[in-house]
Amino acid sequence: MDIRRYSENSITIYIGDEINEDTNKKLVHLKNELEKMEIDGVSEIVISYTSLIIYYDIFKTTGKDVENVLKKMDLAKLEKRSLKYNLVEIPVCYGGEYGPDLALFDDNGLSPEEVIELHSNTEYLVYMLGFMPGFPYLGGLDERLFKDRLDNPRTRIPAGSVGIGGKQTGMYPFTSPGGWNLLGRTPIPLFDENREPQILYEAGDRIIYRAIDEKEYKQLQQQVEDDDYEVKITSREAN
Amino acid sequence: MTFKVLNPGMFSTIQDAGRFSYQTFGFSPSGVLDYKAHKLANRLLGNEDDAAVLEMTLQGVELLAKKDTVISTSGAVAPVTINDKRYTHGSAIKIIEGETLKIGKCENGSRTYLAVLGGFDVPPVLGSRSTHTRSGIGGFKGRTLKNGDVLKSIGGDFSEGLKKIKPFESDNIIRIIPGQQYDRFKAQVKRKLFNSEYTITKDSDRMGIRLNGPELETDEGHDVLSEPTQLGSIQVPKNGQPIILLNDRQTAGGYVRIATVALADIPKLVQKSPGGKLAFKEIDVDEATKIYKEELTKIDSGEYFEDLRDFTSIRRHISLKISKLMEE
Repeated sequence: MDIRRYSENSITIYIGDEINEDTNKKLVHLKNELEKMEIDGVSEIVISYTSLIIYYDIFKTTGKDVENVLKKMDLAKLEKRSLKYNLVEIPVCYGGEYGPDLALFDDNGLSPEEVIELHSNTEYLVYMLGFMPGFPYLGGLDERLFKDRLDNPRTRIPAGSVGIGGKQTGMYPFTSPGGWNLLGRTPIPLFDENREPQILYEAGDRIIYRAIDEKEYKQLQQQVEDDDYEVKITSREAN
Repeated sequence: MTFKVLNPGMFSTIQDAGRFSYQTFGFSPSGVLDYKAHKLANRLLGNEDDAAVLEMTLQGVELLAKKDTVISTSGAVAPVTINDKRYTHGSAIKIIEGETLKIGKCENGSRTYLAVLGGFDVPPVLGSRSTHTRSGIGGFKGRTLKNGDVLKSIGGDFSEGLKKIKPFESDNIIRIIPGQQYDRFKAQVKRKLFNSEYTITKDSDRMGIRLNGPELETDEGHDVLSEPTQLGSIQVPKNGQPIILLNDRQTAGGYVRIATVALADIPKLVQKSPGGKLAFKEIDVDEATKIYKEELTKIDSGEYFEDLRDFTSIRRHISLKISKLMEE
């Protein structure tokens, strides 16, 4: 554990220097444990690939105090515990107007059916969220699906779009410009301020995409409009 | 309803102290850029510190009052008029239904704040009334104000004394704390950072202040694994031109960070306009914490206020009190 301070009201902990599942697991354990401890003055914990930032109120605690709490934590012991996480199923209608770049994978020697098969049969680990609210940085994309971003980024990618950019797959919770190859779209809102939880997943969770046809897409879309839809979230435990 | 927007200014958004606890889900904190001006405007009215205000960029708004209330302004000095009569910036001013409030161009900074009794009333999203225009959430419909928008306020009783915000001098020295990749930069590059002036460019916004000046290069690469960003992080992309991240920043970033702006200097920094120049001075994190604590304590103590001596504004308060008495 490498503990650093780069601002008045935060402390940063680094674990390792590369993206891997083991580091993610350690960070999630650490975050869960710190949240459970409810340290007076600690206001927010943010997780990323290899680090964790802890924000605190400088009138309630000090960087030194938080550092002392951290130094007393036994990461090796925490690691041995099993980790609870959610598997979140996201229904995706691949191809057509929803995934205009599906055919581009011809360059990878893959038919649209093969792309769908490869993309939807994997449980992706959510390493962190960022870029925009609810945007997951996912790990586990099949190498055969790696694809450079588009030369000319689109000015408008609809919310719910699922795509591939380089070695990563992910989805856009909000309409935005972007250069990813679009495979499909989900009718499920990835952010809904009136839903609990507002964002369906967090770091340490896993996402699986389920291929649906246009008919089911439209049905789900209607259910979303009627505010009568469910998202399949399964609680799991990993050793 | 309290106000109807007659002219929305250039980039005016409802903001409170910010949306915290959700950065790990990718939500930018947003919130007022100048936390000092925000608190002072609210204190003039006796509002809660976190009450939502209107942040106006470079150019103020024109509002039609739809009911009686009390307002205050703070931050960059801008002419404040009610039905074309000028009042004191940085003080509480009563406004009557049917009157037009006009806030002009920022004269000595780039952000003027308008507070209203009780705060602006918009539905909180994830615990905050702040607007994040990029994702379209919070504030007034997730966007900047437009002509014809109708703004509500929470209201309350006004019982504050007659005071105004003291004028303060500002220099261009920004104190910074060594950042995550400070050691990736050679001593001569660091010298460039501390011995040169950097100019704020026009493409600066609520996400970040983009600077132009001597290139900050490193042989060890400008990219890092995406990491959480922080308020005031000075990131250096490949072109060597630093960007200071502000409240609407993305919550994760993959550029090297040479330093972090001391929180005590954020209000000074965010009031600089495009074309303005900055000089940097290094301090350590403990010193930065000390001066930030002092600054917050000073804001709390009322030290930034003085008695209101401006006759027009005082007379307005008194005559309004008399008219109120006569009504009763």
